Amino acid sequence: METKGEAQSIARLVLRYVIALLLVTLAVLVSLSLQSSFGDPFWFFFSAAVILSTWFGRTGPGWLSVVCSTLAVMYYFTPPVRNFSVSPSELPYLVTFVVCQVGVTRLISWRRKTEDALREARDELEARVAERTVELKTANDALLKQMEEQRRTEETLQTTRAELARAARITTIGELTASIAHEVNQPLAAVVANADACVAWLSREHPDLPEAKAAAERATQGATRASDVITRIRSLINKTTTEKSQVPINQIIEQTAALAEEQAAKNQVQIKLELSPESPVVLGDSIQLQQVVLNLVMNGIEAMTNVADRQRTLTVQSGVQNGDVIRVAVLDSGIGLSEEIKQRLFEPFFTTRTKGMGMGLSISRSIIEAHGGTLWGESNGTAGSVFQFTLPGEAARLV
Amino acid sequence: MKDQDPIVFVIDDDRMIREGMQSLIRSVGLRVEMFASAQDFLDAKRPDAPACLVLDVRMPGLSGLDLQLKLRDGGIPVPIIFITGHGDIPMSVRAMKEGAHEFLTKPVRGQDLLDAVQKAIAADRTLREERKDADEIRVRFDSLTPREKEVLELVVAGLLNKQIADQLRMSELTVKTHRAHVMEKTRAESLAHLVRMSEKLKSAARK
Repeated sequence: METKGEAQSIARLVLRYVIALLLVTLAVLVSLSLQSSFGDPFWFFFSAAVILSTWFGRTGPGWLSVVCSTLAVMYYFTPPVRNFSVSPSELPYLVTFVVCQVGVTRLISWRRKTEDALREARDELEARVAERTVELKTANDALLKQMEEQRRTEETLQTTRAELARAARITTIGELTASIAHEVNQPLAAVVANADACVAWLSREHPDLPEAKAAAERATQGATRASDVITRIRSLINKTTTEKSQVPINQIIEQTAALAEEQAAKNQVQIKLELSPESPVVLGDSIQLQQVVLNLVMNGIEAMTNVADRQRTLTVQSGVQNGDVIRVAVLDSGIGLSEEIKQRLFEPFFTTRTKGMGMGLSISRSIIEAHGGTLWGESNGTAGSVFQFTLPGEAARLV
Repeated sequence: MKDQDPIVFVIDDDRMIREGMQSLIRSVGLRVEMFASAQDFLDAKRPDAPACLVLDVRMPGLSGLDLQLKLRDGGIPVPIIFITGHGDIPMSVRAMKEGAHEFLTKPVRGQDLLDAVQKAIAADRTLREERKDADEIRVRFDSLTPREKEVLELVVAGLLNKQIADQLRMSELTVKTHRAHVMEKTRAESLAHLVRMSEKLKSAARK
């Protein structure tokens, strides 16, 4: 590569000298041919040859053309002609010629040099600009990528946060239940122990009335304490404020379906969404509503675990009725609901599963009712069951 | 009430439950002491009498299970009746494995508690008697000389005097003398009695 470039630059240099020689030769020929009609025109043509040689060939070829021109003038145009000697009378004339040519070549080569330096500077600048542009573009790309990543992280974060909130609520319900059970059971145990003691003191051969009375009083205290616990829980529930916002119900269903996807896949259940094109919006607590939908979806999936003779499909529908009532239905192709189960569906602690607290539907119904809606379940024609709830639409609330 | 009368220790952090149980147990004529925490029980001076513990599993501070382990490690063998708020199976299994006498769920039916208490006290009484017997036997056995102890071991193992003499490299007459001392010091009425006492001692040591 390098030798090739070197060879090229040498060739270019040689070409410059050759051009200088050619130009001088051309000047000689033209001057000679015109000599008969114009006298001594060599000034113009040699000057032109020197100018052009210097312009295109730079300093070296410039000097070459000056020397050749001088020699040519000495040979062809100063008497004695056809001889390099110059007569003394012609000498000032020749010296003037040479000085002029030297001046021209210096001037032109100086101009040329300046121009070259300028161009070089410009080229360098351009190269640097290009380099910087590339750098900038790389940096920009990196930035864009980073922004995209950040956006994705934020999305993940938000999803995780929502999931966490849901998990926290579910855990809270579980813990709350255990804690309530303990808080109520404790005074009840006291009531039973003291009532038993009271009976025991009274059943003695000689009933001990003071002891029986003390035990009965303690039993009453225990009962009062149990009732206090209940009152406290009730006020706690009433105080719990729900965060109401405009909830796009289709989005809630989609998110829930995504959450249940894994469970569905595990049970070979296909989740189908038939969502209202009207994109209905309700005013409510999105996490609570998501919890309800998730509960219904999970129940549906659970109901189909023993289905082997038909497709296990879970369909979630959303729709708008009478203009402002939003209806969400979860249909499964499971075992359906017997009349007896249907009667007890929403009873707290009623469950058909081995693992289950039996609180899901009961809590779901409370949530829907707190949102001004209704939740019910029934058999779904030939196979399976359908659970659905209605909620007042946001439009109705705004009017 | 005398110091040797059976006593029931009720340990529950809930005052009303504690008092209810105490009252109930007292109504059948048993001695009761109440404690609000396991630590209080450990700190208290306990009378030397047949006893049992009615112990709440779930308590702040030292839990019922913690106390059970502490008593076992401290060599204080008292039958424990656990009272639990929630029929927590792994917990009951653990407690039973550690030798809990009974496991009752709250709210406890009065009769169930009384039955459990009576049974636990009876069990403790038997255990105490066994321990007392073993202690007496140990005192007697401890009075034997090392040589007599060696002879005792072999006698109990069923060896004849001649065999014992061979094994211990002594005359048969010496064996007979040692053997007579052993019977006398341990107050054994027969060889069978001696064997029984020795067995008792060994089984007490195992416990």
